[in-house]
Amino acid sequence: MLAAMKNRKSILELGIHFDHIRQKTWTVLNPMKPADGSIINETDLTGPILFCIALEATLLLAGKVQFGYVYGMSAIGCLVIHALLNLMSSSGVSYGCVASVLGYCLLPMVILSGCAMFFSLQGTFGTVSSLVIIGWCSLSASKIFIAALHMEGQQLLVAYPCALLYGLFALLTIF
Amino acid sequence: MHPAGLAAAAAAGTPRLPSKRRIPVSQPGMADPHQLFDDTSSTQSRGYGAQRAPGGLGYPAASATPQAAFLADPVSNMAMAYGSSLAAQGKELVDKNIDRFIPVTKLKYYFAVDTMYVGRKLGLLFFPYLHQDWEVQYQQDTPVAPRFDVNAPDLYIPAMAFITYVLVAGLALGTQDRFSPDLLGLQASSALAWLTLEVVAILLSLYLVTVNTDLTTIDLVAFLGYKYVGMIGGVLMGLLFGKIGYYLVLGWCCVAIFVFMVSRGSGLVRLRAQVPRRHPRRGCQLWGSDQRHIAELKSPGVAAQPGGSGGLPGRGGILSPGRGDPTQAARGWGSPAHRLQAGLSPSFHSPCMGAFLPEFPWKEIL
Repeated sequence: MLAAMKNRKSILELGIHFDHIRQKTWTVLNPMKPADGSIINETDLTGPILFCIALEATLLLAGKVQFGYVYGMSAIGCLVIHALLNLMSSSGVSYGCVASVLGYCLLPMVILSGCAMFFSLQGTFGTVSSLVIIGWCSLSASKIFIAALHMEGQQLLVAYPCALLYGLFALLTIF
Repeated sequence: MHPAGLAAAAAAGTPRLPSKRRIPVSQPGMADPHQLFDDTSSTQSRGYGAQRAPGGLGYPAASATPQAAFLADPVSNMAMAYGSSLAAQGKELVDKNIDRFIPVTKLKYYFAVDTMYVGRKLGLLFFPYLHQDWEVQYQQDTPVAPRFDVNAPDLYIPAMAFITYVLVAGLALGTQDRFSPDLLGLQASSALAWLTLEVVAILLSLYLVTVNTDLTTIDLVAFLGYKYVGMIGGVLMGLLFGKIGYYLVLGWCCVAIFVFMVSRGSGLVRLRAQVPRRHPRRGCQLWGSDQRHIAELKSPGVAAQPGGSGGLPGRGGILSPGRGDPTQAARGWGSPAHRLQAGLSPSFHSPCMGAFLPEFPWKEIL
């Protein structure tokens, strides 16, 4: 038990707060729930990296070895969205914050690629479900960005580039 | 990265000029992430907030673990402080130099858009025929932000349209089984090259014709970027409805862009090119010679288009739907001065729109 307590303390020293991770995950999974701007300001890359690894694992189980593409696309996508948000918002945003939010909102994509393990997504049902998942991811991401950066009337404008990025991930998952 | 080296330097006490090395953030508990990211970790986080303060890291209770023993050492405290100040200086350097190459504050004006503006602008791009007032509103010599005036240029639509066009062209190639990820990069760079060529051509023509306008290069890029919206429409319709849909929508978009450019250009130039009107005689001669200049400039521009399209890989038949019409239409207008400069851009524009569209995949779809 002492060992468990020590482990917990060293994890906290690393800066990993499981309850924050859980809270942010619920915010993403429930697109109707309004986002709380303050939790977003922590640059937490643990959750996003976990979700990236989960995505790659499900892709691997479906037979696609595409680790490089996932990391490459996330890095470039984060860069582009970071630049765009800095130009569009009145207050700036840091790269870590953008990477963290985009990584959390990748969770529905993990669900999609989990489905791809069991049946092929290349039919109509696959297209429709991937469109739904892309919409879900991008709406959550834009909702969090809008709440954190106090941007008004720009939710769809922020959602569109996020949708393009998640569309690329969906292409990876389907084809 | 080299904590021993840094510790030695710190211990030696010699103030060194900042080198390009940085302490990596990934080692837990070592460097201060505050310096690399903009105040993202708020001080209200309880447990680990104190941990991240540089220099105050004596943890007597945790001295059992080697990390904490390292942190308790005063020399390594200094090394951490030095490292974090290095990181802060590096960040400052990057921020300063970015501002030198990319005028961030000027660009922010072009991205101050909202959803209503984008919706109205897209409507204007596809159907500009009913819009009456094309002049940009000013507010004490500076143009109003795009949020408040639908006529103001913006860079959000061109940037998003460019990226969407590259992706949709990749999709179209994918339906022909000609897709590979490096083709996306190829498409993107060739589209960018054509855009640069157009901007340079128009800047050159403005210089030769010596029209005094306030049009900045960024404005020009914005206007020239609007054509990607029409191109995306064309490719999507082609994917959905086949060859007829492709040509129809492309033709419609060419005409729409032409009308849009001319009306917008005339609105801009009328407002700004006030100088020639004060010298009526000289003004007439000026515009007369300008007309010849512009006509001469248009024909090589139009002729260059098939040559340019042939150079792109994997595309035999490239469309050039707007080749004949815009040139003739613009020549027929003659003297109204403000139409000449505006007429130049669509004549480059509409042919170049067809220049790098992917070969139409009608073989598979029909």
